[in-house]
Amino acid sequence: MLALVVVLLVVVVLLGVVVTGLLRSHADIIRALHTLGVGVGDPAGEAEAPATPAPVPVNIGPPLPSERSASSAPDIEGVSPDGDALAVSMAASPQTLLAFLSSGCSTCALFWSALSQPQQLRLLPGGVRVVVVTKGPEWESPNAVAAKVPADVTVVMSSQAWTDYEVPGSPYFALVDGARGIRVGEGVANQWAQIADLVERARGDERPPTAGHTTSVRARSLGLNGAERESRNDEELMAAGIFPGDPSLYPQRLDDVFAATEHLARPPVEEHLARPPVEEHLARRSAETVDNSERH
Amino acid sequence: MARLAQKGIEVYLPKGWEGRIFQHADVHGVQSNPVAQFATFPIPATTADFGGGATPSMRPDDIFVVLFEYGQESLGKALFARQGMPRDLTPDHFHTYTLKRGIGGHSGTQWFFTEQRRPWALYAVLGSHARRHTLVPKVNLLLKQVTLLPKTAAG
Repeated sequence: MLALVVVLLVVVVLLGVVVTGLLRSHADIIRALHTLGVGVGDPAGEAEAPATPAPVPVNIGPPLPSERSASSAPDIEGVSPDGDALAVSMAASPQTLLAFLSSGCSTCALFWSALSQPQQLRLLPGGVRVVVVTKGPEWESPNAVAAKVPADVTVVMSSQAWTDYEVPGSPYFALVDGARGIRVGEGVANQWAQIADLVERARGDERPPTAGHTTSVRARSLGLNGAERESRNDEELMAAGIFPGDPSLYPQRLDDVFAATEHLARPPVEEHLARPPVEEHLARRSAETVDNSERH
Repeated sequence: MARLAQKGIEVYLPKGWEGRIFQHADVHGVQSNPVAQFATFPIPATTADFGGGATPSMRPDDIFVVLFEYGQESLGKALFARQGMPRDLTPDHFHTYTLKRGIGGHSGTQWFFTEQRRPWALYAVLGSHARRHTLVPKVNLLLKQVTLLPKTAAG
């Protein structure tokens, strides 16, 4: 009987040690999670808790177009699949369509095939040069690339170009305006016809703004986005005599818009009130939304 | 400024220029030699050594330049007596008849020389002979950026 009691006592003590260890381990995990800003509750008490959870930066791949502030289009240096040294100048052609492709990606297969078909290439507007850019020989097999590309298409193998153009993945396309040295359009697609449409739309944005064009279209045609676009807007407003805090920036009614800028020539009210039809406005908004969703 | 370097040819391309340096595969045991092509317009992938397939589509402001190396058996020949590549051409050096294939309005110049004990030909084409006074300085700007290395360094 005594032996049984002793054995039970030993078992209870051992279980106690195990449970204590588990609780201690659990507390360590909770504390670690809390330090990373994802904890629930505060095991260390309010006094030791940081005022705000520490942000945990998570970077997955290069930034997407909307997260960038540059539209530069540097020249591309690399090698051909045959090993020739190659440098492609963006200024050498009025417009260059850069096709960032991989030999192994299944979606790219469609575009490799399209490059061999003249009727597909003819979908592009005239005067657009097509240059295929793959990663360098350290990542891509030159033989695999050479087997896919027609002899008359320029192919540059350059990992640096993928970095310079911040390519998020393949397939990816960028349209470069050679005269200004900027990207005027970029995005993804799963059909060559969509690329032709991307080029056509980018060209449309290049045309001089008309009454139907919004300032965002004009800003895009100038290659501006993010901070650059905001800065340009500020400059234009200040040049027009509209400074921070100007009442016209916070209009309650239409006359407020002009109240602080009476010295500026004011066109007839009818002209100011002219708006694109609602349907046109909604269609444009819809197109922009589709455009953005395609990018992501 | 883009840099091209291969086969003992190194060049820092001025803005607006593109180029390629290549060497054909040996045929029947006959060794081929390096070729460098530079242009202010897109060089088609299928361009022949001296610009065949590319120069006919040149616009008036376009320039095409070729550096073509000859075999070591040409070393010491009278044709290659000139030492060093010409890097300061003048408009008078360009003639409408100095073309591999005569194309209306174009003009060209060709030079044979030896540099770093390597025999070379320099061939340049202007898209418009009438604009040679504007275009030749651009050719010189390119040529001044070209460095030819000895054969041992070229590999």
